[in-house]
Amino acid sequence: MITAVGLTKRYGPKVAVDDLSFEVRPGVVTGFLGPNGAGKSTTMRLMLDLDRGGGETRFDGRRYRDVPRPMREIGAVLEAKAFHPTRSARNHLLMLAAANGIGPARVDEVLALVGLSDVAGGRPKGFSLGMSQRLGLACALLGDPHTLVLDEPANGLDPHGIQWLRDVLKSLAAQGRTVFVSSHLLAEMAQMADELVVIGRGRLIDSGPVSDFVGRFTRTTVLVRSPEASRLADLLADDGATVDSLSDGSLVVGGADAASVGELAASYGVVLHQLVTRTASLEEAFLSATGAAEEYRGVSTHGSAA
Amino acid sequence: MSDALAFEAVRVRTIRSTYWLVGLALLLGALVAVALALATRDEPVDAALVAVGVTGGSQFSPLPFAAVLVGILGVFATGHEFRHGTVQPSLLALPRRSALVAAKLVVVALVGAGAAVAGLVLNWVVTVVSRGAVVSLPDGEILLGYLVFVVLWGWLGAALALLFRNIPGALVVLLVVPLVVEPLISALSLVPALDWLSDVVPYLPFSAGTSLVTVVDVGEATEAAGGTAALGRWEGGLVFAGAVGAVLAASWVLFERRDA
Repeated sequence: MITAVGLTKRYGPKVAVDDLSFEVRPGVVTGFLGPNGAGKSTTMRLMLDLDRGGGETRFDGRRYRDVPRPMREIGAVLEAKAFHPTRSARNHLLMLAAANGIGPARVDEVLALVGLSDVAGGRPKGFSLGMSQRLGLACALLGDPHTLVLDEPANGLDPHGIQWLRDVLKSLAAQGRTVFVSSHLLAEMAQMADELVVIGRGRLIDSGPVSDFVGRFTRTTVLVRSPEASRLADLLADDGATVDSLSDGSLVVGGADAASVGELAASYGVVLHQLVTRTASLEEAFLSATGAAEEYRGVSTHGSAA
Repeated sequence: MSDALAFEAVRVRTIRSTYWLVGLALLLGALVAVALALATRDEPVDAALVAVGVTGGSQFSPLPFAAVLVGILGVFATGHEFRHGTVQPSLLALPRRSALVAAKLVVVALVGAGAAVAGLVLNWVVTVVSRGAVVSLPDGEILLGYLVFVVLWGWLGAALALLFRNIPGALVVLLVVPLVVEPLISALSLVPALDWLSDVVPYLPFSAGTSLVTVVDVGEATEAAGGTAALGRWEGGLVFAGAVGAVLAASWVLFERRDA
């Protein structure tokens, strides 16, 4: 069980994490979701006493720095490539194991678990991001901890690797462990996590089961193409629907289903070339939830994919 | 603390730089000893010259080999943590930052002192072999001063890299101050208008530190040339240790307070 209360981090006048409080329960995978720059990594660094800031985080009632030999209770990885380029993966793990009274047999065990046994003796200089992520996970699992805190562990993994990571995290959670994993990709989280903590601009936006979040922020729309688009748009607006015109002339209609749009068009004799129901993807749900809080808003170009 | 020491012991053993730095320190010191011994081979044994050889000529170099290389070992002890981002896993394993810093200082001191002792023995052996005759070891005071000197350089390197969180910055200070800045101040003190500088010169940290490895008293010769006599062995050592202590204290406090 992780309890974070009032986490706050300022860089000069800029507030990176703003009075953030949440809980992470054991037995499930909890995703920590937010767009890039939302403060996920900073939050994790605060939780683990790496950054100095306000608020406190308790792991089963204790702060990180008060846990003796913390790797035996909390496994954490924040940077994938946090290793010396010429110290072998095995030696890197032996070094960390020595710091927490963990035997060398466990080092070989976790290397096998993450699939790095074959390269354990070589220099990690040439490791791909995916291999680095596996080494990071090996560090986190070294002390057989009951709590895992992982920052973007799927970053750089191929689809096969993500599937593998998902299975590993799910099985760890099923053993009753607390698993807290960050990502900026909702689709990835939807596959991996059971619960979500969603932040934007350092503030809590939502927390709860993944399905609730997806349901709440997913909106079904209807895409319509018509040679009389502007007339149809007026008719739909009069009918109480919301209408957005795309650059190619097609309309995106909210608040009405395909049947009612079709019937409305028929009753006024408007010709339709296309009528498609669109369910917003998870990414769109995520963007709509965090849109107001997005840190780096780029110039948006409206897509017209049906 | 014992966990932190165990960690540091593995850390220092599992990077190649530890081996080439210590190896280079031994090799370069021994070359000085061999050169000196061969050059004075036909002359009667001079205890001071033997001591110069055994200490690798440290008194007469602004960058004494063993000290500089152990200094770089110190820079790497803390600097690698920031250069390669390992400060995060290190602090996740050892969240008590002071324990980590203390363990690094202990390990740098042990490796530095080990390299110094090995160097003294090696230099003495090659001197004996080169001269083809047994010579006595220098005074205990000289040997101890050499040991302290090398360890202080190691700690200074570690403190500088911890302060700057950066390897090049620490190396620049470690090399440029003794090689350029202090000799420049010494030279300027000879200019009549700047003669007040001569009161400062004995307290320049690296120059003062060199008194720890004094084997030939050059005080009178220096004064005759218009320079300022250096401090005594342990007075100078204290000045150098004070400077190292100040940098170390600042870097330690900042490491405790800053984001990792």
